[in-house]
Amino acid sequence: MQQELPALTAAVLGLSLRSFTYLDGQAPVLHNVEIEVFPGSLTVISGQSGSGKSTLGAILAGLLPRHGMDELVGTISVAETQIEFSKSVTPRVDVSQWAKHTGLLPQDAGHYLSGIRGTVAEELAFSLENAGVPREQMCQRVQELAHKLHLEHLLERNPQQLSGGQERLVALAALAMSEPDVLVLDEPLAGLDQQASAVVSTMITTLRAQGTALVVLSDSIRAWAHEADSLWSLEQGMLKALSSDEQEQQNRTTRETPRSVPEDSRVLLSLNSVKLAYPGASHPAVQDLDLEVRAGQCIGLAGANGSGKTTLLKAIAGLLTPVAGRLESFGESGLLLQNSSDQLFERTVLREVTFGIPKRSPLQQRVPEVLAQLGLEAYAQTHPYELPASARRLVALATVLVRDPEILFLDEPTEALDEAGEAILQEVIRSVLERGGAVVLSTHDAEFMKSTAHRVLTLS
Amino acid sequence: MPRTIHLHPFTILAVAVAVVSTTTAASQWWLSCAVLGLCLLISGWAGQLKKLSVLSGAMLLPTLLSLLLIHGLVSRDNSPAIAQWGPVRVTVHGLEVALSLGLRTAVLVVVGLLCGLLIDKHQLVAAIDLSPVPPQLGYLLAATHFLLPQMGEKQRRIGEAQTLRRVGTGKGVTGWFQRVRLRAVPLVLASMQDAQDRAVHLSARGFPAIGTRTRLRTVPDSSAQRAIRWIAIVVAVLGPVLILVLAQLGSKS
Repeated sequence: MQQELPALTAAVLGLSLRSFTYLDGQAPVLHNVEIEVFPGSLTVISGQSGSGKSTLGAILAGLLPRHGMDELVGTISVAETQIEFSKSVTPRVDVSQWAKHTGLLPQDAGHYLSGIRGTVAEELAFSLENAGVPREQMCQRVQELAHKLHLEHLLERNPQQLSGGQERLVALAALAMSEPDVLVLDEPLAGLDQQASAVVSTMITTLRAQGTALVVLSDSIRAWAHEADSLWSLEQGMLKALSSDEQEQQNRTTRETPRSVPEDSRVLLSLNSVKLAYPGASHPAVQDLDLEVRAGQCIGLAGANGSGKTTLLKAIAGLLTPVAGRLESFGESGLLLQNSSDQLFERTVLREVTFGIPKRSPLQQRVPEVLAQLGLEAYAQTHPYELPASARRLVALATVLVRDPEILFLDEPTEALDEAGEAILQEVIRSVLERGGAVVLSTHDAEFMKSTAHRVLTLS
Repeated sequence: MPRTIHLHPFTILAVAVAVVSTTTAASQWWLSCAVLGLCLLISGWAGQLKKLSVLSGAMLLPTLLSLLLIHGLVSRDNSPAIAQWGPVRVTVHGLEVALSLGLRTAVLVVVGLLCGLLIDKHQLVAAIDLSPVPPQLGYLLAATHFLLPQMGEKQRRIGEAQTLRRVGTGKGVTGWFQRVRLRAVPLVLASMQDAQDRAVHLSARGFPAIGTRTRLRTVPDSSAQRAIRWIAIVVAVLGPVLILVLAQLGSKS
């Protein structure tokens, strides 16, 4: 671990936590967490989904514990103030004051934006407006920040019409507007293409150079290991510093390459000069596309955000009709959509997976089998919204697999999946291919693409 | 390309209220027609004529038909009948009442819609934020305007996910009701979750403001506009009273 922090510099944020338990929680979610954050440092905390990363982030940002509900035992030091929490005393925290010292960027950056402002400039100024800062000062600060973070070209754009990457940049800038000492970023690169990731990373470096301390919560240290000042791992609610051996182990990728496919295997999907467009759109999303997918084959779709990957997957799954060309599918298909929460409707995992399957259908018998395959048996009676993000993604996958699709379409399947979830997904893809099916997937995860896809189709 | 009107939203609203209240109180067909004609001219200038015509038509046609049915066809007054089919008779007085009520409703609808088309929603929210009303009111209006389309998008995505699971794919009225039933619960749950997720970050960004609040957006205003607003408010309140008093005096003499 490269904890070479200046000894004389005082920590801008410190947490000494003995335990944290949610309201109605049976056991503490976090225990024995000791962490200090120094100005301009980059602290990376990795952990599997459900390990307590987001909870830790919310505690550092003052959003937890909720007054009179959750129970925190320990001390938080912020802006030279020490706040004691105990079983009997939970001080009421003014989150807007806390945010001036420590801000949190949630994984879904859109949740940070107000959603009610007409331009990016107004969105950046939202917290200043609420603080009653005079307009001239606001204009100046917005311009200065936009210049520093290279966002001038976005200032007059409608925040509702930004791409995923741009949305995260704007949210990060809005967070930095209050000039907090510490920024806590929850999975800041998740779901971003290479270009957008590079821009977000540059912005993070710029903020660090100005003395802002950053705490990154991520399921993997891979993207951060080379520049982090301290690396931590959160396992079962306990924080431990990663040794150099462990860092190397986490960085090492031992992924297999996909097996070759016989060239004469039957065709399961065929696209000829396909053109796809949304009604009312001025430009087609996809044009003149030819593609042939054979049994046993996994095809990867690559391309920047907005290049038409999701549109193509929706079209071949039957949700969108091509405006030109021929699209033929020879077999039962199933699509895992990008956003799991739009795919879950029921109050338990079991009901969710059986949703839409007639009671007397033989597919009902596949339900326990699929739950076991994805390691979800223990969650059968849990509400999908109460699951960690990775397990929720697997529940969405279970709703697709239960119909035994011959062609499996996966839209950003690794998003929100932790390492264990990714291993399960690899196994699922392998089993579909081995029984003569095919898989078409879109992902920004180059490593995953390399280890899974036989062929990559890049959309532009 | 629609033109934007550089007036304070409250000025447009105040004038609209004055026009509607005075026209309704006056109840003169020529005045209602003149107001409607002026609205069409303004919408034509603003490049919103087609939109205004379609929206007004969709709202007014059923209203006018129902008024005609109630007052024109099954009227029980004793005025001479123009035509009669058994119990159904069209009378002159019935038609006059239907036309008069229809025109007054038309003024209300067309003026209201024109305001909606002319006023920039963001300008209106900014104007409310800069006024002394509680900040929650501005947010409520903004959320209604801007979050509803987001809910519509979410509803569409839920529909796609259900179609993939071959649920809610029925046709006709039954299929429509089935889709509404199946989408309603996940939509409400997802929207509540969304609101909960946003709320903590809104608080962290200092919303609602406790003290003075400012806006980066400027709302065009002037002393002339402020004077117009005051006059419009006085006309909106006193205009109908004056018209009613004059009408009373006229009927006595």
